[in-house]
Amino acid sequence: MEKEKLKDYAHKLMFDMKEEEYETLQQEFDIILKQMDLIGEIPNIKEVEPMHFPYVTYEAKLRKDEVIENEVLTTGEVLANCEHVLNDQVKVPKVVE
Amino acid sequence: MEYQKMLIEDLRKELDAGVVTSQELFEKFVSLAKKYQGEYNSFVTILEKYKMKKKKDTLVTGIPYALKDNFSTSNILTTGSSNILKNYVPVYDATVYKKLKEAGAVLMGKTVLDELAMGGTGITGHTGVVKNPWDKTREIGGSSAGSAAAVALGIVPFALGSDTGDSIRKPAAFGGVVGFKPTYGLISRYGLFAFASSLDHVGCFTRSVRDAAIVTDIIKGEDPHDMTSLKDTGECLVDSLAQDIKGKKLFYIKEICDRSQYEESGDQEILAVLDNFYDLVEKLKEKGFVIEEVSIDQKLLEAIYPSYMTISCAEATSNNANLTGIPYGPRGEGNSVDEIMFSARTKGFSELIKRRFILGSYILQKENQEKLFLNACRIRRLLVDKINDLFQTYDGFLLPCSGGGAPHFDEDSDKLSDRYLLMENHLSLGNFGGYPSITLPCGFIDGAPIGVCLTGRVKEDGLVLAMAEKIEEVTGLKGQIAGGDQDV
Amino acid sequence: MYKVVIGLEVHCEVQTNSKNFSSAPNEFTMTPNIHVAPVDLGLPGILPVVNEEACRKALKTAMALHCENPDEIIFDRKNYFYPDLPKGYQITQVTKPMGRNGYLDIKVGEKEKRVYIHQLHLEEDTASLDHYSNYSLIDYNRSGIPLMEIVTEPCISSAEEAVTFLEDLRDVFLFCEVSEARSNKGQMRCDVNISLTEEGSDKLGTKVEMKNINAFNSVKAAIEYEIKRQSELLDRGEKVIQETRRIDEDGKTYSMREKVDAVDYKYYVEPNLPPVKLTKEYLDGIRQTVPMLKLDRLHRYINEFHLSEYDATVLSKNKDIADYFENILLLGSDIELTVNFVTTSVLSSLKKLEIDLKDFFITEEMLSGVIDLVHQGKISLDHGKKILYQALEKKKDPRDIIKESHLEQINDEEKLLTYITEALEENPEQVRQYVEEGKDYVINYFIGKVMQKSNRQANPNITLELIKKELEKRRK
Repeated sequence: MEKEKLKDYAHKLMFDMKEEEYETLQQEFDIILKQMDLIGEIPNIKEVEPMHFPYVTYEAKLRKDEVIENEVLTTGEVLANCEHVLNDQVKVPKVVE
Repeated sequence: MEYQKMLIEDLRKELDAGVVTSQELFEKFVSLAKKYQGEYNSFVTILEKYKMKKKKDTLVTGIPYALKDNFSTSNILTTGSSNILKNYVPVYDATVYKKLKEAGAVLMGKTVLDELAMGGTGITGHTGVVKNPWDKTREIGGSSAGSAAAVALGIVPFALGSDTGDSIRKPAAFGGVVGFKPTYGLISRYGLFAFASSLDHVGCFTRSVRDAAIVTDIIKGEDPHDMTSLKDTGECLVDSLAQDIKGKKLFYIKEICDRSQYEESGDQEILAVLDNFYDLVEKLKEKGFVIEEVSIDQKLLEAIYPSYMTISCAEATSNNANLTGIPYGPRGEGNSVDEIMFSARTKGFSELIKRRFILGSYILQKENQEKLFLNACRIRRLLVDKINDLFQTYDGFLLPCSGGGAPHFDEDSDKLSDRYLLMENHLSLGNFGGYPSITLPCGFIDGAPIGVCLTGRVKEDGLVLAMAEKIEEVTGLKGQIAGGDQDV
Repeated sequence: MYKVVIGLEVHCEVQTNSKNFSSAPNEFTMTPNIHVAPVDLGLPGILPVVNEEACRKALKTAMALHCENPDEIIFDRKNYFYPDLPKGYQITQVTKPMGRNGYLDIKVGEKEKRVYIHQLHLEEDTASLDHYSNYSLIDYNRSGIPLMEIVTEPCISSAEEAVTFLEDLRDVFLFCEVSEARSNKGQMRCDVNISLTEEGSDKLGTKVEMKNINAFNSVKAAIEYEIKRQSELLDRGEKVIQETRRIDEDGKTYSMREKVDAVDYKYYVEPNLPPVKLTKEYLDGIRQTVPMLKLDRLHRYINEFHLSEYDATVLSKNKDIADYFENILLLGSDIELTVNFVTTSVLSSLKKLEIDLKDFFITEEMLSGVIDLVHQGKISLDHGKKILYQALEKKKDPRDIIKESHLEQINDEEKLLTYITEALEENPEQVRQYVEEGKDYVINYFIGKVMQKSNRQANPNITLELIKKELEKRRK
């Protein structure tokens, strides 16, 4: 795995790392990709349905369409942990589409 | 009487008899927490003010406890042990916190974890390293490091943690305490900072199996906020402990426990672990358990760890995409929205989890998803199918938690490696299938505790606890705390 | 000449009480950040919980669009970073959308066309961003509001077709009562994909995307502009660039960004939402509530009720009107009279009063009662209509007005004869004119007199015959 590629992945995830951290990551990629290659060799793996939940019981029920007032945050709570607030909204640098 | 050694029901008696008040207990535990903080670093936050607002009387009413710092607690700092949330004060309560409050339990602190619960060492939290109460040169393991240490030190009789791969059960084993993660869905995850949602479990640290049942009875239950939570069955786990376990069948996995495969390495520690294990197996057979060795395809077992890494990193990269410093958290610097997100995340996350995120993101990419993510999900099914198949015959399986006592700070790392691939990483089987799984102390190696893990069928938490209590009788290690003769 | 290939992606807010994944209100407000639950803010630890009504409405719409429904409800995550997306991912449907492989028949001018629907899925709206001189503000009220996205196959070939489809799709939303679909409130928005290929060529043209267009006439303007722009490029032998374009106020489009590499959304199954089985009973229950669509009703009115194309179009255009019309027929009223009353009195009243049918005072039962009296000849058509206007004015049941003012026609000949005899005796000169001079028009004069005397209740036909008879008697 090329370092430049890893950097591109990091940037798409909105962060950067130090050079040596990319090197550690390169080694990790080697290990995990090697291991995953072995997985591909398990016979008939392609025929197995991927599992996304620990088990499926179909017990879950959809929620009744009701407003529950005490679950609605006050504007103060919405903005409680925001460092840049203006007019009861979250302020960010101008978003250019 | 040494309150720090007491189990929940002992404390209950003291409180009910008026020997001590809840507030006095709280203050004693807080001062103990402060005393140990410099040495072991269990806590991110130690609460100063006693607060109790019960809605009903329960076994835990008035009893102090600790929460891992990834449970949302209104008005109490909750950091996930990450710089990206270092000042975050939640505005809503996790369901388990709400339930404990209503039951009258008294929160006394928030414990350190590996940053955002990703990691197994207890060294990556933003407030520093958590040390093993039995041996300060060792890790306690993670990610629920502080909760394990706090219970092992006798600071609290119980603490909550979360377990995605082994994050309760591994540090419980290294801390010489009980760590229980019930069936996926038995306890609501609402308010638990997500790591890998399909593997995340809430659970508890206690010093006895009975206490684990008591705490789980309080915090379990269907939650309208969590669609994956299970319907209430009305089962009382404490009552289930009384069931007869004679003739219950357990298995252990040959590919993990076979002594001969380790002999060549000359690694005395892992051999000692196995000696301890087989000794326990023999004693359990005398108690009436039927215990057999089964063999599972080595290739499949070796796929546990890479599959776990693949699934958990993939889910984690998505689950933590909310941490941008925009609606909450420290705001990054820059002239554009992208720049401020970039700056907040670059500064906010430490190296280890950035690497995990990149791995996870790569795994989910369109061109890799089939080969990496979906193959891992397929392995997950093959493994779960295999275990469920064995559960047709057996009531559970028993395995050593690790190949030795907790690693020393200089020897382990969270970098991916393949040493003892199976022995160190099988606990995530319990997460793959959402099985109830408990570790309990079973001895010491070089003064460091080791543990054994029992895993059972989905929704059979009561049986797993009942069987675990029998194991506890055999080990005789119920109620132990580290270095524990100092009184408060 | 070039062949135009257009595909549309239409987003429509679903009308519900609460949001798609939280219990915060789904309600438009100008006050920022008052309809926000922890889930909508993407706070650490939140879990989504699916709104049953949103699913039901999405399934209903999918059925109305003749889609296949899935066997279970399941959601996926679409991962990307944007300041209006607090979780860093949007919950949407890829694996099992609420509907697949459907169609909507539309009528463009005289021609009918089938627009194929690739899929309909349920997802959530983003927060809204307001842009100022050098900063933007985020309001999370809209975050998590249920959205349906309808994706057509690339089978639309003109601006006119596209706009007709959008209008008719909006009618589907209205007919199904799943959304108000007001584009001025941003409740219905649309992305347009357009490409041009050489006529007869089987090579696909380069796709240009235009995002987030609110108004239907902007869609039309944008498509027409793009067809012209791309044709000119191709005429000159230049290449169309694959890109996203934005539309300005006069319908011109300009380049927003070139598609360097497509964003990889890294879709995967949302692990917090376990699959929910859709039973046959549940789906059948929804299917029973799916209304007949506009074009189907038009066909029915023409073929079954034998309405003129004009009347059928007017009556089928709006679901409330169509339902009103059909309900009156269900009450057994005469078709022709019902058409007459609804297309004239009802529609003109609505227009004059500037109200919707749901605020209209005259119920189907009331109108049916009046129509039946007219049909039975008990009151005249004119009177029927006049009573209707009185009823509207006084907010009074027209049937009561008829009873109270005795407006029912007098058909009793004896009663009518007393009025007639009176009238003839009071006006000897007019009698003389008929008898001696043969002036027929005095008959009308006497009808008027009888009407006055009878408070306009005399049956005009019977009165006419009786007056003739009485005048003839006097001739002798």
